[in-house]
Amino acid sequence: MQGPSVAWYLGVAAALFSIGALGVLLRRSPLIVLLSLEIMLNGGNLALIAFARHNGEASGQVFAIAVMAVAASEVVVGLGLIVAMSRRKLALDVDRMNELRG
Amino acid sequence: MMAAAWICLVAPLTAVLVITLAGMRIGGRAAGWIATTSTAVSFVAAVVAFVKLLPEDGQHRYHLSTAWTWLGAGSLHFGLTILLDPLSVFMMLIVSGVGSLIVLYSIGYMDGENEERRYFAYMALFVFSMLMLVQAGNLLLLLVGWGLVGLSSYLLIGFHQERASAVAAAKKAFIMNAVGDATMALAFFLLILHTHTLGFPALVQVRHSSDLVVNLVALGLLGGAVAKSAQIPLHTWLPDAMEGPTPVSALIHAATMVTAGVYLIARTHHVFEFAPGVQDTSAVLGAVTLVVAGLVALVQTDIKRVIAYSTMSQIGYMFVGVGVGAYANGMFHLMTHAFFKALLFLAAGLVIHALAGEQDMRKMGGLRRLMPLTYWCFLAGALALVGVPPFSGFFSKDSILAAALARGTFGVFLWVAGVIGAFLTGLYTFRMLFLVFHGEPSAYAREHHHSHNGKEGPATMFWPVAVLAVLAVFGGWIQFAGLWTPVSDFLAPSAFPLVAASGWQEVVSSVFAVLFGLAGIGVAWWLYDARRAEVPHAAFVQRTLEHKFWFDELYDALFYRPSAWLATAWTRWIERPIVLGSANELGVEAQESGRLVARAQTGLVRAYALALAFGIAVLLVVFLAAR
Amino acid sequence: MGNVVVWIVWVGAAFACLSSAIAVVTFRNPFYSALALIGNLGSLAVLYLLLSAEFVAAAQVLVYAGAVMVMFLFVIAYVGSEGDAPLAGGPSWQAIGSVTAAGAILVEVIVAIGVTAHGKLSHSPHVHAYFGGPSQIGRLFLTNHLLAFEVTSIVLLAAAVGGVVLGHHSRRVDAGA
Repeated sequence: MQGPSVAWYLGVAAALFSIGALGVLLRRSPLIVLLSLEIMLNGGNLALIAFARHNGEASGQVFAIAVMAVAASEVVVGLGLIVAMSRRKLALDVDRMNELRG
Repeated sequence: MMAAAWICLVAPLTAVLVITLAGMRIGGRAAGWIATTSTAVSFVAAVVAFVKLLPEDGQHRYHLSTAWTWLGAGSLHFGLTILLDPLSVFMMLIVSGVGSLIVLYSIGYMDGENEERRYFAYMALFVFSMLMLVQAGNLLLLLVGWGLVGLSSYLLIGFHQERASAVAAAKKAFIMNAVGDATMALAFFLLILHTHTLGFPALVQVRHSSDLVVNLVALGLLGGAVAKSAQIPLHTWLPDAMEGPTPVSALIHAATMVTAGVYLIARTHHVFEFAPGVQDTSAVLGAVTLVVAGLVALVQTDIKRVIAYSTMSQIGYMFVGVGVGAYANGMFHLMTHAFFKALLFLAAGLVIHALAGEQDMRKMGGLRRLMPLTYWCFLAGALALVGVPPFSGFFSKDSILAAALARGTFGVFLWVAGVIGAFLTGLYTFRMLFLVFHGEPSAYAREHHHSHNGKEGPATMFWPVAVLAVLAVFGGWIQFAGLWTPVSDFLAPSAFPLVAASGWQEVVSSVFAVLFGLAGIGVAWWLYDARRAEVPHAAFVQRTLEHKFWFDELYDALFYRPSAWLATAWTRWIERPIVLGSANELGVEAQESGRLVARAQTGLVRAYALALAFGIAVLLVVFLAAR
Repeated sequence: MGNVVVWIVWVGAAFACLSSAIAVVTFRNPFYSALALIGNLGSLAVLYLLLSAEFVAAAQVLVYAGAVMVMFLFVIAYVGSEGDAPLAGGPSWQAIGSVTAAGAILVEVIVAIGVTAHGKLSHSPHVHAYFGGPSQIGRLFLTNHLLAFEVTSIVLLAAAVGGVVLGHHSRRVDAGA
């Protein structure tokens, strides 16, 4: 089947990546930062799948599955951190965590 | 013979090294005996060299011995060369002979001081330096010895480091000597430029240079001589140098170092002979100094300062001698002066030692009964100083005056100054003697006088004084002008005299000098012993004499104050704001820039992430562009 | 005919993807953001299907939307749903900078792909029917990319351990809670 060429998918992937980056940079709640991070990863995944289709190599899809697994692990740890923070009654605000201030 | 000369030079140096390296492992007395023995070895070696030199005939009495080439620069080569000729062996005998007596005396004088070892190391260093000065075979090595004696003098004047006055006096001596060293160095530069050598025989070559050059060289040498010998105008350091221990004053500032200027002029007489104006200037400076010093000595209250001014005055005589060209007469007076001046200083040291360090003559009196032997030795020295026959001073001083007369009309002025000086010498010397020894014992003397086990002083102090007393009495008998002149004959090949006094000039000089000297003694007796009259006091004269003709004040205003002002102004306007300020600014700027950079560390993760994002954006462009 | 349908499906999925992504980034309540992300993941699965990646699409829905997002929702429920107001207070320099950086990255990536592609991306070669199917993916995982497979499993193990450690109750904290 025809349809849009691979370039269009790549454009969507780039847009997803940028939107995710905006979310990481602009939001203060760590939960939303994690969600934005997921969007960025998904943008990367889309690019991988698109190129896999274009080159006829399924390794791209394998790579995408590995990325998914790693993203899941990272979400586990991130959420664990957030839960720990909330249990210690710390404010869920990345701007408040500035102990590395010089 | 040259081996003896080398041993003479090196023996005191080994004493310095031994005392320095032994450090705390030897006692003070041991250091003293090491120094004395080394100087005595020097004297024996000098005697051996002298004896070996005598059989040679006049023209061949000139031996050089080079250890190695010390400095080589292009076509110039200066060796570590020592010279053995009549003039140098004459000085070697005086320096090592009188030096060993004085070092022996120091063992008793400095007994119980904290830092005896340092003292004896410095004394041995001085003897070595002085021997190097007189034995140098070229002007460069002479300059080395010159500088080293200046250093030893500085170290020994400031020996009592805890006394601020001693330290200041040491600095003053060193700085004034440095002025002389500078003029000498300039003279040496000119010599190298024009004659390409600094050896002594080559000095005759200087006559091929222009008059201006010769005069400048002679002036430079005269500057050094004037500074080292404490003649006007570079004389103000000598009275202050009495801050050093008495044996130091005896050795350095009476017998040997201050006579180095006279030796220099005699040694480089060729240069002076081609610059007669400068030679006449040196004679005039000598004459002026001799009168001025004699006048100032009249009002001194410190016994050592009287003797110091007397030294200044007598060196004025020696300058008159070498200034008119009577080199042998000047050197002969140097020898007798060494004997009686050292004797006077050491006897004064006995008095000071017995009175527990007191030097003010107004507190002394009547010590003749308490210290009779010292009195007789002191009297012998005083009579020799005034030039009463048959003591040694008579033979040497009068021959200088006679030579001045032989010089012509210019010499007559010098002669008059010398005769006035003889009167003043009698006056101040016997003023000192009468104040200290005659009359009733003062209250202070009665209270503080302590004898050394019933004797007037320890043996190590007494015997050198006795030996010097004998020399002061009989030492002049080796030359009687006109009749018997072994000294002049001996020294003639080294420095041929320019004038020769006739018989009647000798007689006239002797008669006038002795008469005026005795008159001075008489006036002193009238005023200070028999107390028949009040000491005349003219307020202005008294003040001028007490301020030593205002020389110190003049130099303070001319040199010290402008330099101090310049230094403070410099510090305030240039050093602190510009030099220090720029260094400070660098530090402050570094801190400021660090502070600026630290503002980027906000601790906010989002800001760091933003920086990352920007970095990625920039890198993407770079990668794209690099394709 | 098939071509038009593909295009319509593509536009719909792409639009849903992008708008749900913007929704995630702009909603105030994290709960709504999480739900928007689920929508995003679903539309992405559709796009994967269009790209002949059936297995990945299925994994996306099962793992990502099914497991990971459920975990997210649990945590949001536990932690509470106050979020920050993202567009409050006017644009700060952080906001301006972020928009600039993200926009720059977007533009640069598109330009980079455009410049380097030389038009080769406009036509994709034909792939066989098994492409993207489970058998092919499985074979690749167990032959060419075995190492990646094993390492990924270790990463998952590490994450699990990390999650347990982070969730550990220390008695002091609980006493004060």
